[in-house]
Amino acid sequence: MTRATRMIAGPLGAVVLILVLMSLAMIAAGTSPVDGFTALFVGALGGRNQIGETLVATTALLFPALGICLAFRAGLFNIGAEGQLLIGGLCAGALGAVLTVPGPIGIVLMLIAGAIGGGAWGAIAGWMKARFGANEIIATLMLNFVAAYFALELVSGPLKGPLAAGAETAWLDPKYWLPTLLPATRLSIALLLAVALALVLQWTFSRTVFGYDLRASGEAPEAARRSGINLARLTWLALTLSGAIAGVGGATIVSGELHRFNTQLSPGYGFTAIAVALVGDLQPLWICIAAFGFGILESGGLAMQASAQVPKDAIHVIEGLIIFVLAARRYVATRVEGTLP
Amino acid sequence: MAGEPVLSLRGIRKAFPGVVAVDGVDLDLFPGEIHALVGENGAGKSTLSAIAFGELQPDEGTVSARGTVGLVHQHFELIGRLRVWQNVLLGREPHRGWRIDEVAARERVVAVAQRNGLEIDPDAFVETLPIGVQQRVELLRELDRDPAVLLLDEPTAALAPAEIESFFATIVQLAARGTAIMIVTHKLQEVTAYATRVTVMRHGKVVERTLIGETSIDAIARAMVGGELPAVARRATTQMKPGLRVRDLRAGSGATRLHDFYLDVRGGEIVGIAGVEGNGQSTLADALAGMIDYKGTIERTGTIGIIPQDRQREALVMNWSLVENTLLGRQHRKEACRGLELDRGRARTEALAIRERLDIRAASVDMPVRTLSGGNQQKLVVGRALIDRPDFVLAYNPTRGIDVGAAALVQSRIMEARNHGAAVLLISFELDEILTLADAVIVMYRGAVLGSFGREAFDRAAIGRLMAGSA
Repeated sequence: MTRATRMIAGPLGAVVLILVLMSLAMIAAGTSPVDGFTALFVGALGGRNQIGETLVATTALLFPALGICLAFRAGLFNIGAEGQLLIGGLCAGALGAVLTVPGPIGIVLMLIAGAIGGGAWGAIAGWMKARFGANEIIATLMLNFVAAYFALELVSGPLKGPLAAGAETAWLDPKYWLPTLLPATRLSIALLLAVALALVLQWTFSRTVFGYDLRASGEAPEAARRSGINLARLTWLALTLSGAIAGVGGATIVSGELHRFNTQLSPGYGFTAIAVALVGDLQPLWICIAAFGFGILESGGLAMQASAQVPKDAIHVIEGLIIFVLAARRYVATRVEGTLP
Repeated sequence: MAGEPVLSLRGIRKAFPGVVAVDGVDLDLFPGEIHALVGENGAGKSTLSAIAFGELQPDEGTVSARGTVGLVHQHFELIGRLRVWQNVLLGREPHRGWRIDEVAARERVVAVAQRNGLEIDPDAFVETLPIGVQQRVELLRELDRDPAVLLLDEPTAALAPAEIESFFATIVQLAARGTAIMIVTHKLQEVTAYATRVTVMRHGKVVERTLIGETSIDAIARAMVGGELPAVARRATTQMKPGLRVRDLRAGSGATRLHDFYLDVRGGEIVGIAGVEGNGQSTLADALAGMIDYKGTIERTGTIGIIPQDRQREALVMNWSLVENTLLGRQHRKEACRGLELDRGRARTEALAIRERLDIRAASVDMPVRTLSGGNQQKLVVGRALIDRPDFVLAYNPTRGIDVGAAALVQSRIMEARNHGAAVLLISFELDEILTLADAVIVMYRGAVLGSFGREAFDRAAIGRLMAGSA
C-alpha cells in the first residue's frame, strides 16, 4: 500500500469509523447524532474550563499511551499501564506527603518516584518474561489487580493521611503542586511534559541505536537476536521503561490534579490508552493527536449525558469497539498486503 | 503441439508501481507437457504464474482455462498440527450430515495417492513428516481437485537429491496421463532433465521458447541473462595466515549434535563443508556465530561477517528499508553512531555502495526490502556481510533459491573476500558450489568430520559417497 492509502486505512479510517459507531450508539440511545455531537463538542471544547478539562484528560491518557507505544514497538503487549499508573501515583503521593524540600525539587523527586514505582511494576512483568518466558499479556494484566489492591491496602493503613476521611494519603503542600498551565483551570504543565516526552520518544525510535534495537526486536526477533541484540535484556528494559512512563503519568495526576493519592486516580486511563496508542499508529506524535481525540470523548461524554441523555457508558462501549475495530483492521491490512507480490 | 491448449494466456500485461512486471506475454499449456518457466529474479515469472492461477488480475490480456488450475507454492501452506488427510481435504471434506465423514475422507486420500503412485500415511501429523513428504501432501491437495493444469513454483527448492528424483518421477507420470504442467524454477539441470518445453523470460517479456531437445543449459542461461554468463571471479594466490581454529567442538542435541568436531580455516582460503542437509550444519553455524552454547574450542582472530541461511527470518527486517537493513548486525559498532544518533548519512552511503557492488535491482534504497525479489534480498545480505572487510566470513547456502546471474555475482564477491585475505567457511548443500569455490572440502556426516580433501584431490564420487555416510 502507498503511504496515502495506509493513512486512510489507518488512523483516518479509524476516526471515521469511530464517528459512525458513535452515531449509531446515539441513535440506539434515542438521540439524534446532531444533538449528541453538539452536546459532546460543546461539553469538551465550549469554553475555557471545558477545554482545560479536555486537556487534563488528554494528559492523563498521553503518558500511559506513550508507555504502551514503547512496549508495543518492541513487540511486547503491555496491557498493565493501569497498574503502572496507579503505583507511580502511589509512590509520588506517599513521598510528597512527607517531603520537606523546596517546591521544584520536591516536584522533580515526586516525578522520579512515580517513574521508579511504575518502572518497578513493569520490570516485574519484564523479569517474568525474560527469565521464565511468561506471557507478558497475562503478567501485565494480572499485575493491574495486584496494583489496585496493593495500593488500596497501603492507603487504608500505613500510608493513610492522618486527617484523611477515606482511603487516601495526606494532601500535598501546595508548593508541591505542578504549576497551572491554563489559568483558572485544573490543567497543569504536565501536558507540556507529556508532549516533550512524545518528541523524545519519536527521536529515540527513529534516530538512536536503542530505538533501532527496540524496533528490530519487535519487527523480526530472530534477525534482531542474530544482529547482536540481547533479547532478554531488551524485553526487560522495554517493559521497565514502558512502566516508568506510565508511572510518571500517575505522579503528574497526583501532583497536578488530585494533590493527594487515592485509588480513584484513574477511571481506566491505562486501558483507554491502549486504544489511544493504536489509533495513533504507535507513532508518538500521532498518539498526541489521538490522545486529544479521546480526551474530547472523556470530558465531553459527561456533558453529552447531561444535555442529550446519551449515557456516558456509551462512550466506554465505543472505546471498547474501537480496540476491536483496530484489531480487525490490522488483520485485514496484513491480508491485503499478503496478496501483493 | 498436438491438441488444444488447456490454459491459454494472451497479451498479458501487469504493472506494479514503478515496474512493468509482465509485458505482453503469450503462453499456451498443452495436455501432457512439462513446461519450464525460467528467468532471473524479477523477470516476471511469479507474477505470470499468479495471473495464470487467477490469484492476480492482469491489466491487459486474457486468460482462458479449460478445467481446474492447481498451484503448489514454493513455501508450503500446510497446517502442521493436522493430519495428512485433513490437510489434503481442507475445505472440501466429505460430509455425513453435519459431521465430517472421516472414513470416506481417508479412503479418498488413499485413493488419490495410489492413483498417482504416491506413498503416504493419511493419519500422520504433517509436522512430523520430512520436507519431501510434506511436499507430497501439498501435491495431493491439488491432485484431489483433479486439475487439468498444475503450476509448480520452485517445487524442489527444499528437497534433498533423492527426494527430487522421486518428485519428478511423479510429475512425469502425471504428465503422461494428460495433465499440463508448468514448473517455475531456477535449477536448469532439472529443466533439461525433465521438462519438454521451456519459456525464458527477461524483464517481463518472453525472450525464448523452445523444445528441450533443441537447447542446452548454457543456451538457456545465456537467454536468461541476455548475454554471456558472468564468470566467477578468479582464484588469486594468497598468503595464508591464521584464521579460524576449532577443536573438539561439542554442541546441540539429537541427530544434529556435533561431536569431536575440528576445523581449520586459514585467512586467504575457502573451506567448504559438504554434507546432506540435517547433519549438523546449522548447529555448527550457530556455534560459530555465537548463537548457542558449546563445549570445546573456537579460536578466531578479527572481525566476522555472516551470511545466514534463512535471509527473511534471520538476516533481514522485511518491513525496513535497504538503508536500515544495512545497519543490522553492525549497529553496535562505534562507527555506526555520531553522538547519540545512528549515522544515517553513512548508512545511506553504505547502502548505495552495496546496491552498486552487488547490482541490486531496487529503484531506491529507501524502499522496504520485502518489495525486493529473493535474489536481490540475498545480495543485500551478502553485501552487508562483506562491506566491513571481515577477517572471517561464514556463508551458509549463500546462493540458495536465487538465479544463476545473482548466484555468480554472490560467488564472485565471496571469492574476492578470500583473495583479500579473509578466512571463508562455506556451508552449502550444493556440491557444485563447493567444488567451484572451495580450496578444501570437509565432508560432514551426523555431526562429525568424515573426511577432507584438498583442491588438487577433489573427487566428486568419493565426496558423494562420504556424504551418504559410507567411507
